[in-house]
Amino acid sequence: MAGKSGRSINNVPESPIKKLIFGWEGILILVFIGVNIFCKWFSEYYNMFNLLRQMPVYLAEVFLMLVMAFILVMGEIDISVGATVCLAATMACIASNAGIPFPLVILITLLVGTCCGLINAVILTNFSELPPMIVTLSTQIIFRGIAEIVLGSGGSISVANTAGFKAISRKIGSVPLILFLVIILAVFAAIVLGRSTFGRKVYAIGTNRLAARYSGVAVQKIRFIIYTLMGTAAGLCALFMVASSYGANTTTGTGFEMDAIAMAVFGGISSTGGKGNMIGGIISAFIIVCLRIGLGQRNVNGQVILLIIGVLLIAAVALPNILGSLKKAVKK
Amino acid sequence: MNLKKLTGSREFLLFIIVIAMFAIVSVVNPVFFSFNAVTDMLKNNAVTLVMALGMLGVMLVGGIDISITSTLALSGMTIGMLLKYNHISSTLLAFVIAIAIGTACGALVGLLISRAGVPPIIASMGFMYIYRAMGYLISNGGEWASAAALGSFKNFGTDKLLGLSKVIWIIIVCYIVFFFVMKWTRIGRQVYAVGSNAEAAEVSGIKVKNIKLMVHTVMGFLAGLAGALQVAVYASAMPNMAQGGEMDVIAACVIGGVSMSGGRGSVIGALLGALIMAMIPKALPLLHIDALWQNMIKGVMILAVVVINVILQRIAQRNALARREM
Repeated sequence: MAGKSGRSINNVPESPIKKLIFGWEGILILVFIGVNIFCKWFSEYYNMFNLLRQMPVYLAEVFLMLVMAFILVMGEIDISVGATVCLAATMACIASNAGIPFPLVILITLLVGTCCGLINAVILTNFSELPPMIVTLSTQIIFRGIAEIVLGSGGSISVANTAGFKAISRKIGSVPLILFLVIILAVFAAIVLGRSTFGRKVYAIGTNRLAARYSGVAVQKIRFIIYTLMGTAAGLCALFMVASSYGANTTTGTGFEMDAIAMAVFGGISSTGGKGNMIGGIISAFIIVCLRIGLGQRNVNGQVILLIIGVLLIAAVALPNILGSLKKAVKK
Repeated sequence: MNLKKLTGSREFLLFIIVIAMFAIVSVVNPVFFSFNAVTDMLKNNAVTLVMALGMLGVMLVGGIDISITSTLALSGMTIGMLLKYNHISSTLLAFVIAIAIGTACGALVGLLISRAGVPPIIASMGFMYIYRAMGYLISNGGEWASAAALGSFKNFGTDKLLGLSKVIWIIIVCYIVFFFVMKWTRIGRQVYAVGSNAEAAEVSGIKVKNIKLMVHTVMGFLAGLAGALQVAVYASAMPNMAQGGEMDVIAACVIGGVSMSGGRGSVIGALLGALIMAMIPKALPLLHIDALWQNMIKGVMILAVVVINVILQRIAQRNALARREM
């Protein structure tokens, strides 16, 4: 079962450098370079300065990808994160407008996100027969429903005191704060998934849940932790969403769950579980961020960008499978 | 079918819930208890009702399709633009075009899932983006086709046949056809076989790949039909129509007892599930609950239904074990 990419628990270990160059990650790096060359040719505004200036809005979604990767490696899915972002962003605005000091606002936002994740986690671990898709579908409707109730008939809220949010969207030199945060968390997530026993257990769950349970992996405990952290990541994303728009409305975060899944899957993390690694996910996240910025600079419509992402996503998953079956057919 | 089997079935329980909901709302507000109110409700939810059938088929083989409302928007927007710029004027032709586009879209999704081995959620997610964007491009970047532009096509939403709206006739025909096909034809039983155990089905001579392709093609067919119905009922076409509606369709199926892992579910269940989903937004204002609460209540209901289902199953299993031990 040598997958198309990354690591799988039953892979024979090979030289990591060789794997990186000839595996899916190598292709992703080429795509990344290709996308940057294309964007440079496409838009005269595409340079380091503008890239760093426009990046923060898109980087917020990378937080979601980091935890979504764990969920996908387990062979599961969480489609409630977009709604969690919406609810947490709403609460952040309300807390900030109520005159609460900013560090507390950050805490409240993260806490709201974590609570949403906790609700998913409690339901999914107590009723482990339920498919995550259904549970997170209903909590998606519930979380956004709560945000709709809180926001009232107007359906939007804006932040009156933007000082705190300006502080977290500031730059150190010319590099935005969020980029540092993304890189630190990405490295951390990559180490946890790739180099820790916890990560190993996550792969074990994704490869064969029953076997993992019988070999002593606390499956439900790990699921509980990951789904709760997914909520925290959504809270973090919400914080930076508010910092980039100084407000929230009922459509904040719509489709974020799909974007996060697309980033991870394009990075070679299989949605059927047990395959892929964080490096692929991170490279593909930056490919998508660069593509969005580059195309956005020439006013390419958001829908067209989504179309390109859709094509890339399907091609990334379908092509290796098609090539594999062609190879088999030729061998016969 | 004996009485015990009937009263113990999921569909019976749902039927009781539908009747109870209907009764409570009718007592609180008699306006709801009228032929017009009920037909209006059915007409406004024609899209969900029709697509729930296709989703039933997809979920029966253990798949899922979240691209359906994008297919709906693409097919609906196409006929909207064709009618707007007077390329076509016939209602029948508009329906045929919408259905043809939908079928092609569905077949493409089905091909990727069955032949290229792409997981259903990923394939349909990709096409959700792609079809929605294509609908947007066809609309010249966000144009609407308003009621005035649709000409005689919009009359389809108000026309009546034998005292019933044509839209409702289409729903009825779809449900009758599906009921027969799923229950009494070879193809219908093959769909159930694939969903229950794909390998066993393959070994016993069922072409699993073709069945998977077929259910997605049928889903596309119904999504295309729903696109035409949406344009007719709301007398307008816009590229972002029915966005997020796929979740309602999936929720209707789940409430109706269709299992996500495949093999379990029925046409009656999907119908009752879709009716419950249709009744919630209609019932809330009558019960003087603010419309803002609508989504939250919907979500809680779906969650409650699936959780209660699991609890009931556990109790049934425990009882079965206890009986064996006696």
